[in-house]
Amino acid sequence: MSWYRQIDWITFLTWLFISVIGLVAIYSATQGPLHQGTNIQGNFTKQLLYICIGIVILIILHFTAPRTFQQVSYLGYGFALLLSITTIFLGVEVSGEKNWLPVFGFRLQTSEFLKVATILAVANFLTSRRENQAGTFRTAVTATLMLFIPVVLIIIQSDTGTALVFMALIPIMLLWSGVPYGLCLLMVSPVIIGYLTVIDYVWGLLAAVIITATFFFLEKRPLLTFGTFFASIIIVIGVQVGLHDVLQPHQRSRIEAFANPALDPRGAGWNVMQAKTAIGSGGIYGKGFMQGTQTQLRFLPEQSTDFIFCVIGEEGGLISTSLVLILLGLLLMRLLGQAAAHKHPFAQLFIVGASSIYLIHVVINLGSAMGLMPVIGLPLPFLSYGGSSFLANTIMLGICMNFFYHQRDFSIYS
Amino acid sequence: MRNKSSQIRSTVSIRVLQVVVGITFIILLGRVIQLQLIEYDTYSPISQRNSIRQEFISPARGLVYDRHGKLIIDNQPTFTITITPINFNRESIPLLSNITGYTPEEIEERLLTARRYSWHRSSRLFTEVSFEVFSKIQENLWRMPGIGHQIEGIRNYPATVNGSHIFGYLREVNLNEIERNPSYRLGDKAGRSGIEQTYEDFLRGEVGTQYVTVNAFGQEINQFDAGRHNEPPLKGSDVHTSIDLELQTLAEELMRGKVGGLVAMDPGTGGILALVSSPDFDINMLAGRIDAEYWRQVNSDSLTPLFNRAITSIQPPGSTFKPIMGLIGMELNIITPQTTVFCNGGYYRGRLYRCTAEHGNQNLEQSIKNSCNTYYFWMMNHIAQRGGINVWKNMVDDFGLGDRTGIDIPNETRGIIPDSSYFNRAFGVNRWGIGDLINLGVGQGAMGASPLQMAVATSVIANGGYRVQPHIVSSISHADGSSEFNSTIKERIEWIKPGPLSLVQRGMRAAVTDGSGRFYANLTDVEVAGKTGTAQNPHGENHGWFIAYAPYDDPKIAIAVLIEQGGYGSTSAAPIAGLLMEQFFYGEIRRPWIIDQVIRRPPAPSASAAASTPTIQTITD
Repeated sequence: MSWYRQIDWITFLTWLFISVIGLVAIYSATQGPLHQGTNIQGNFTKQLLYICIGIVILIILHFTAPRTFQQVSYLGYGFALLLSITTIFLGVEVSGEKNWLPVFGFRLQTSEFLKVATILAVANFLTSRRENQAGTFRTAVTATLMLFIPVVLIIIQSDTGTALVFMALIPIMLLWSGVPYGLCLLMVSPVIIGYLTVIDYVWGLLAAVIITATFFFLEKRPLLTFGTFFASIIIVIGVQVGLHDVLQPHQRSRIEAFANPALDPRGAGWNVMQAKTAIGSGGIYGKGFMQGTQTQLRFLPEQSTDFIFCVIGEEGGLISTSLVLILLGLLLMRLLGQAAAHKHPFAQLFIVGASSIYLIHVVINLGSAMGLMPVIGLPLPFLSYGGSSFLANTIMLGICMNFFYHQRDFSIYS
Repeated sequence: MRNKSSQIRSTVSIRVLQVVVGITFIILLGRVIQLQLIEYDTYSPISQRNSIRQEFISPARGLVYDRHGKLIIDNQPTFTITITPINFNRESIPLLSNITGYTPEEIEERLLTARRYSWHRSSRLFTEVSFEVFSKIQENLWRMPGIGHQIEGIRNYPATVNGSHIFGYLREVNLNEIERNPSYRLGDKAGRSGIEQTYEDFLRGEVGTQYVTVNAFGQEINQFDAGRHNEPPLKGSDVHTSIDLELQTLAEELMRGKVGGLVAMDPGTGGILALVSSPDFDINMLAGRIDAEYWRQVNSDSLTPLFNRAITSIQPPGSTFKPIMGLIGMELNIITPQTTVFCNGGYYRGRLYRCTAEHGNQNLEQSIKNSCNTYYFWMMNHIAQRGGINVWKNMVDDFGLGDRTGIDIPNETRGIIPDSSYFNRAFGVNRWGIGDLINLGVGQGAMGASPLQMAVATSVIANGGYRVQPHIVSSISHADGSSEFNSTIKERIEWIKPGPLSLVQRGMRAAVTDGSGRFYANLTDVEVAGKTGTAQNPHGENHGWFIAYAPYDDPKIAIAVLIEQGGYGSTSAAPIAGLLMEQFFYGEIRRPWIIDQVIRRPPAPSASAAASTPTIQTITD
């Protein structure tokens, strides 16, 4: 088979297509007349540069031996943690998040690279201890700890979004560590129940009942099931008390704003309202390139980064938004499909981890932009402006593509 | 190699993950379709409104004029700097401090206050800044995101009068009021006392709207559709009062340094010509930003300058009540014009009720002129026995005492005119008797009236028995050119007959020409009728009263003056009324030495007038 037929062209072309759509949206969001002279004007050229660098990275990564990633995984993880700690002390604060490290005149968002390193390390850890891997509690705890140290570091940098990504990774990665399904469910349930309780405690109670029932079917242990249910109820009550008695009114309003952003369009729900308005007013065909009033009049906050999807929705309409969703879906399905076909557990686990990171980003970003959840600042992979995020995501994709490309060579290592 | 079950497990997990991805993207796609296809009609207008922002323009508040059309209150533009905390960048603080002259700490503090109200709405940061500061801010607006500016109007008082208790002051509306009345916005001011409060809905006007294309920084780009959809603000209605500017000015001057209230009104219509409560507060100091020191001083003053004594002070009317008693006595057939009562210095009924002198035989006219207490103690004794206290109360109430007069400024008191249930409440059933009632005959004891109520009662006597509703505002001119008159009640009190009335009027005229009013209230060219009064004050110096009206045959003005702790009404209150009459009829003061007396020397009790010899009295009809 010739070398170029082994390259995963579908993944590459989807990536390129998505990146170019993002570039066009960034152009519209930063080059309008009202953006003249602002500091975001240079975003377009920079992003163009990042895409070019991205292509180079993808090419270079194809020439790397897959084993290298296993070999450098712990080293990379340690180095990334060190970078993160450095960021805490030397970092620069940008819009409330102190997660930027100035390096050679660039500002590096170290948490983005920490994602790549962590997945590599965890995947290597979970798959390299073949004999005692199945079901040992110690393995699960160690893997959780490897994911939890970055969470702590990132929370210190007050980057809630990225911390959430790592936390969501914990149950997904644990599935592969051989921990029983029931235990995995238990680890996710507080988040689900808590979130639904904020919307309405009835939803929280409903979720508690469903999760307990599922847990019972998975584990068939009545006493533990009862304990689970009891804990769930305590979470519901705790969130309710916290919401109404512990939090200050303005803090509560910020949390409740997403449940009903129409309540105070100029108040706490402003961003959500503006984002939904931008998307909704786009209609089927959109208002046209550079014609979106929400975008061009700067009603949208963070419109070239976190709310890039709103720019696409307003100016490109349903045609563009569905195209973006289909492309992102295609990319994820393709990655997971390749993972399922892959023989080697390390590659499989890494690809699953990478896909999960993309998925969490997509869900949180689009969920925020479309008013499905509270606004949490996270970039949309490959579409949002941002060098660190774009390059880290591209490196992850490059490693995945490397694993596809060298699929046959893996048998040598095992 | 891993064991088989593990291999199967991970493949299954990937399939599960693929299903999750599929469901997630279907949900996201569904949401996009919902927003862009189904709810397009909801969001499209919102996005149009966003770029075309509706802005509110505050209307100019209505002006206030006096009875001759002279301007009393207008508006004066002030410059306000606003802040929207979410857009504000702390780095702008040094520049802002540089321009405004406020220290960075002060700005920080105000920023915190603004944040406490809302991060997203604009609050006033500095009010009443100078034009220089305002224009500098305007130039540097682009360097300070979140900072805005607006022009507002504050009340301006160009006239010579203070009139703080008539016109009242404005304060910012609170959040409750905004909730109740959506036409208010935060930071709007509304009348808090006086006619500013009563006529708030007329004076306020209607907020205008303009549609401008703006960006997210709130910077205007241009007028939408060349301003075709704009609605200009509707100016508040102008209010024409019955106040006589010169009279009010003089009244304020005369009342300065004293404690009390004064009301001068047109007895025919009820229009208030002058209304003063002393001490008062400087209405100019409350026009704009409040000087906290001044506000504290006004509020902590033991003489309560915010308290409108002209309509809320309740004091026994003393001898000024005697003309009313005369009319009631005649109507109840207790006295006739011929009835005389022999006064030998007092009236004995269980105990001695003192008179001021031994007046000898007194008929009604003489008893008013000489202010003979004995006559009225005797009469009250008979009223109590024959008609009863409740009949008496109803008749007194007809004069406007014992209930609110319906004047168009807030917080008026009812006053006290007792009936049997009042005494039952106050002393207990069957625990009061005739002894508690006899004092009422000379306007003492368990009764009280405000200067306003006494002015209304004086008007009833002056105008031939018509009960009038006192009012400050006579008409309102709306911005569209139309106007409406303040409809007030004026009704004949049926039982007051012309015969008895003219007898009482003659008595009051005599009281001014020959009685206790002759020193200060007797004018040469205008026939004045009046009655002095001195209300006993157990807590200190007596309160001085004087009621008067003029001209005697065709009354144009009725006055009631109360000087608290002023001693005798003839020396404390009467000179003030006399001077006001001169100003009203002559347009000048012909006896300037009285002004000096009134202003320089706060009335003190004169020893000679106080002397009276208490003796046990016998009464003859």
